Amino acid sequence: MTLDLTLTEELRQVLDAAQQMLDTHYPVSRLREGAADPMAPLAEFGTFLLGFPEDAGGAGLGRVEEAQLHSLLGRHLVSPSAVAVSIAARIALGAEDVDLALAIAGGEVAVCAGVTTPDGPLLIDAGGAAHAVLRDGATLSLVPLAGLATEDAPMMGHGRALARVTSALPAGPEALPEVALLHDLLVSAQLLGVAEAARDLAVDYARTREQFGRPIGAFQAIKHHGANMALGAEMLSAQLDMAALTLDARAPDAGFQVAALARLAPRIALENARLGIQVHGGIGFSAEADAQLYLKQAHLLRALLGPHDMLSFDAPMAPTGKAPS
Amino acid sequence: MRLQLSPEDIAFRDAARAWLLDNKPATRAPEDGSESRAFALDWLAKLYDGGWGGLAWPKDYGGQGLPPARLLLWYEEYVRARAPSTLDCSFVALNHAGPTLIACGTEAQKATHLPRILKGQSIWCQGFSEPGAGSDLASLRTTGRVEGDMLIVNGQKIWSSYADIADFQELLIRTEPGSKRHKGLSWVICDMSLPGITIRPIRNMAGATHFAEVFYDDVRIPLTQVVGGLHDGWTTAMTTLGFERRTAAMALQLDLSVQVEDLIDLARPTPGSAMAERLSDLRAEAAAIRAMTYRVALREPATPFDGSLVRLSFAELEQRIRRAAMDILGPAALVHSGRVADYLESYSETIAGGTAEIQRNIIGERILGLPREARP
Ligand SMILES: Cc1cc2nc3c(=O)[nH]c(=O)nc-3n(C[C@H](O)[C@H](O)[C@H](O)COP(=O)(O)OP(=O)(O)OC[C@H]3O[C@@H](n4cnc5c(N)ncnc54)[C@H](O)[C@@H]3O)c2cc1C
Repeated sequence: MTLDLTLTEELRQVLDAAQQMLDTHYPVSRLREGAADPMAPLAEFGTFLLGFPEDAGGAGLGRVEEAQLHSLLGRHLVSPSAVAVSIAARIALGAEDVDLALAIAGGEVAVCAGVTTPDGPLLIDAGGAAHAVLRDGATLSLVPLAGLATEDAPMMGHGRALARVTSALPAGPEALPEVALLHDLLVSAQLLGVAEAARDLAVDYARTREQFGRPIGAFQAIKHHGANMALGAEMLSAQLDMAALTLDARAPDAGFQVAALARLAPRIALENARLGIQVHGGIGFSAEADAQLYLKQAHLLRALLGPHDMLSFDAPMAPTGKAPS
Repeated sequence: MRLQLSPEDIAFRDAARAWLLDNKPATRAPEDGSESRAFALDWLAKLYDGGWGGLAWPKDYGGQGLPPARLLLWYEEYVRARAPSTLDCSFVALNHAGPTLIACGTEAQKATHLPRILKGQSIWCQGFSEPGAGSDLASLRTTGRVEGDMLIVNGQKIWSSYADIADFQELLIRTEPGSKRHKGLSWVICDMSLPGITIRPIRNMAGATHFAEVFYDDVRIPLTQVVGGLHDGWTTAMTTLGFERRTAAMALQLDLSVQVEDLIDLARPTPGSAMAERLSDLRAEAAAIRAMTYRVALREPATPFDGSLVRLSFAELEQRIRRAAMDILGPAALVHSGRVADYLESYSETIAGGTAEIQRNIIGERILGLPREARP
């Protein structure tokens, strides 16, 4: 079949193994301790080499596989460093620094994610990182961090470790257009994971929490919140596949599909996170339960996406015929 | 997972595009009445004669049994060419009554009806809803009394689309006296020309007469017209075929993408304006509906609930797109036109065939496994 969206057995196995690795090393409960995520278990799993070309030491898998894996990472609220590492290796490869690319993908050289703000660049989970993948408007580049002055900054609601760069950032190699698209694909994949996990957490809670003598999920208002979360997640997940497949096929509409994806992903993830908090009631508002973590992760990931002018692309479904009179 | 057209796919798509551009009607379908019937039947016959009829139907029943991937290509070209909406008076026959006959009908029933449906020779309507039985369909009360080899039907149906121009009706009635809810019903082929049938067309809020009230006064229907088991009509009514679930709404869902392109062309928004943002959202959402349509068509194994998420997303997006057209037109929208009719018609999307609220209940209960609410 040339048009087929069935999950292959091979991919299913990769995802099953990834799920085990994530359950072992990145249970969501870890975030209550507030420690930074180590990248080593992900590197050992081969996360960062999965989509690397085989002649450069990778597994040569496609964008679809890589996106699915990152949606699992998103479910586990893994640090955005994971996307940064995946992309940093590609940027280094694009700059023909194969040694650096392999060192990054192998986990020997640490990389974090960063984004510019009017008050200076912010780095996320930067502890020990030698480079940052920096989002600056439409530009995505790999900047060296050695010798830079930084100060700690509190993250919204006191979540992950943020650092503000207080000295001038050096320039670094920029991501090629297709790597920039891949970056936003993977960030969106993680946002999908956030949206799905927020949905699942809310649905589990709605099945067990009882009020007025019934599980709250029997009340239509709560049931419909659940349905809306399912609708959003399904829409995003289908678009993620479409965007990944068109990138893999180097189709002319790949830019259009990634732009649509990047437009939907933060909106849906934030909405599912919001509904997830609401379904939990008081405990949803507490820092002792996980519902709020999905919201903060959605904000964090959203900041890493580039701008996409959705109307600038040729549409794959442009009309061929004239409207009937 | 792969999306890559083979040379054969491309040849098929190009042939479809060329045929559609040469043959699709240049005018909009007439709003209602016998003219709309003639228009729909002509178009179906033209499709059939051109070799593009019954693409989704199985080969054994005169169809072409095309795989879902080919149907996607066909319907993409169909909507891009702006061929007539598939949600017209031929919809029930092609996407509901026909598939039900294929699944549950006798050989005689199939032989009588299926070829006529495919060739554009008969129009069907659906008679399920009643004044007292809408969302709660199982509370229906129209009766069919068994008398010898006849059913004597009495009662009333409502909102039956195109009943005024239909040849046949798929009629769901209570045939077992004293039975309750889903039990004791039968699914019957009702010839709309039978004595005792009175049809009162009802104008809808778009000003068109698409649905009707139907009254049955001692209407005599031979028992041979029961499809599936006598008193087992709920099973028949709930039988949907894989191809039907995958294809019935394909064109409508894909058409949203074309509608958005049309709006962008109409509005020509200034970059960065509020309208540009709004159209960007609509364009992205329509793209996602297309992606969902692909998923339902191309992912195995298909599940019974595959279509339910995309269906509701589609219905609500269509309403937002049609509403955006009104906002772009401004006061000019006060004058009735095709766009205005499409806008007003879109209000039915979240009511007909199961309301949005009922669909959210179904998603919550059957897909997410949340506890069911109290039922009678
Ligand atoms: C354009 C159009 C074409 C149609 N064509 C046909 C046709 O060809 N054949 C046919 O048989 N029928 C047809 N129908 C009827 C359609 O199936 C019914 O209108 C629909 O099922 C709703 O039933 P109702 O109108 O009685 O509304 P009701 O069931 O009375 O619903 C009224 C409101 O109450 C809400 N509601 C009801 N029950 C619940 C619940 N359990 N939980 C939450 N909310 C609830 C509904 O969502 C709705 O908002 C058509 C309707 C339209 C609008």
